[in-house]
Amino acid sequence: MNGLESRRATSRAILWVVLIVLVIIYAFPFVYMLLTSFKTPIETNAIPPTVLPNTWTIQNYVTALNTQGVAASFVNSIQTAVISTLISLILAIPAAYAVTRFRTRLGRVFILVALVMRMVPAIVVGAPLISLFHSVGLSDTSLALAIAQTTVSLPLSVWLMASFFEAVPGDLEEAARVDGCSRIGALWRVVLPVTRGGVAVAAIFAFLASWNDFIFALLLTSVRAVTTPLEIANFQSQFGLDWGSMTSLAVLYSIPVILLTLILQRHIVAGLTLGAVKG
Amino acid sequence: MMLPAAAFLAVFVAWPLAQFVGNSFFRYQPIGNGPHTFVGLANYVEALTSPAFANSAWRTVAYTIIVVFFEFALGLIVALLFSALGNKSRVFRTIFLYPLMIAPIVAGLLWRFLLIDNSGIVNQLLFEAHLTSVPDQIQWLSDPNIALLSVALPDIWLTTSFISLVLFAGLQNIPGDIIEAARIDGARYPTLLLRIVIPLLRPVIAVALIVRGVDAARAFDVIVVQTNGGPQNSTETMSLLVYNTQISDGNPGLASAMGTIYLVAMMIVAVIAVLAIWRPGSDNA
Repeated sequence: MNGLESRRATSRAILWVVLIVLVIIYAFPFVYMLLTSFKTPIETNAIPPTVLPNTWTIQNYVTALNTQGVAASFVNSIQTAVISTLISLILAIPAAYAVTRFRTRLGRVFILVALVMRMVPAIVVGAPLISLFHSVGLSDTSLALAIAQTTVSLPLSVWLMASFFEAVPGDLEEAARVDGCSRIGALWRVVLPVTRGGVAVAAIFAFLASWNDFIFALLLTSVRAVTTPLEIANFQSQFGLDWGSMTSLAVLYSIPVILLTLILQRHIVAGLTLGAVKG
Repeated sequence: MMLPAAAFLAVFVAWPLAQFVGNSFFRYQPIGNGPHTFVGLANYVEALTSPAFANSAWRTVAYTIIVVFFEFALGLIVALLFSALGNKSRVFRTIFLYPLMIAPIVAGLLWRFLLIDNSGIVNQLLFEAHLTSVPDQIQWLSDPNIALLSVALPDIWLTTSFISLVLFAGLQNIPGDIIEAARIDGARYPTLLLRIVIPLLRPVIAVALIVRGVDAARAFDVIVVQTNGGPQNSTETMSLLVYNTQISDGNPGLASAMGTIYLVAMMIVAVIAVLAIWRPGSDNA
């Protein structure tokens, strides 16, 4: 090994060490939350705090899941996220398709306006939505909450789907049209099967926007449609400092999305970087 | 085919938005069908002359700058590391991805737990590392002078990943021969970074900063669960002020005027940012 190569090897080793240290620091908060969720209630509030639990227990999980409303909130969260994802996709796919295929000025204006709407703070739309849903009898329902959350995910879904449709060659569709497919038929039978990955990305992001939402749930639900983020937040006001139950419920709520992340990692990275890198 | 989506956005975004702006010209009680009194621009005058509004506006600007600055600095370092270490860093990229998936409310509560003055793990670790002399020396969330910085931590933690992934993807798109050519010409690393890499990344950086800037300026969840605007209102940003004026103070007219100013200001800043750093249409940096 000559001098230059060994210098390179040393600097690579340093870079690895820096990266590993950064990743450990970055992962620590979540690992600590996980460890805390297995501590006894006394140890959770101990001074000084411990890192590893002295005694491992699942007591916090039992307490959290048996708390009034928690189980129902999980059902609500899943239900709301599924409805919101469906609405978002059903509206975004034809819109994105029209924008990319017909290329009208109106289409460009639509994309732009949709993106501007993403900048509107939730509180601004949320407050008038309370009375809107009240007047049509949808107060405190998963549907109303899902609709409100879709206002955030829809612009992003349109943007993502439009980028994916751009990549589909027009010839493919022309062939289908010549064979007697309608526009909708071509979209359904030819374009969508090729852009399955794109649909998955748009679906994940719509699902996450709903699953992780807090402010719309705070404004639009009170009893029946309450989702888990509200229950997690309740643990601290209701019982003062019940960090054990809070962390265990937070862990349970995060597991589905972490699994989703691991399984669909490549798609998620593609979705996150697509819009930005294309500029 | 755009019609259903357009109709949806019109009914559930544009219409509430118009109502919200309309409400800003009235004074009324939020509950019941009390009288709506038209007050013209009185709510705007009240908002613009109230110290609470001005302070909150500055806090929002400060919060956004803190969040975006740290995210960008950390995100760039991590993206450069990933890029330098190549494919072997894949596992770490996955670990780096996960905070993005966690609910902001969970992140906010988690950091509140980490930062408790006397029994928080952060203060304990600082104490054990001999960086502080007593465990509760730094009162992260109860000292009004630093609370705004502390509430920004979960936001930074959650979304540095976004910046680093976007920048990493941008770095992958830079042709290797450009870097090689510069190296052969004897460019050192800092020069290479400042003169070649960052200018080439400009459009990517612009999008990442604008997206994150807008989100940080709208932050609500992470702040409300950590401090609810306290101590002494030191973390009450615009979202919280509008929410509190609307819900707790029951003054939707004033809240609407504040929210409208906030929205218009954000859009102006975003447009300026797009024009200034993105420079669509111009190729040279």
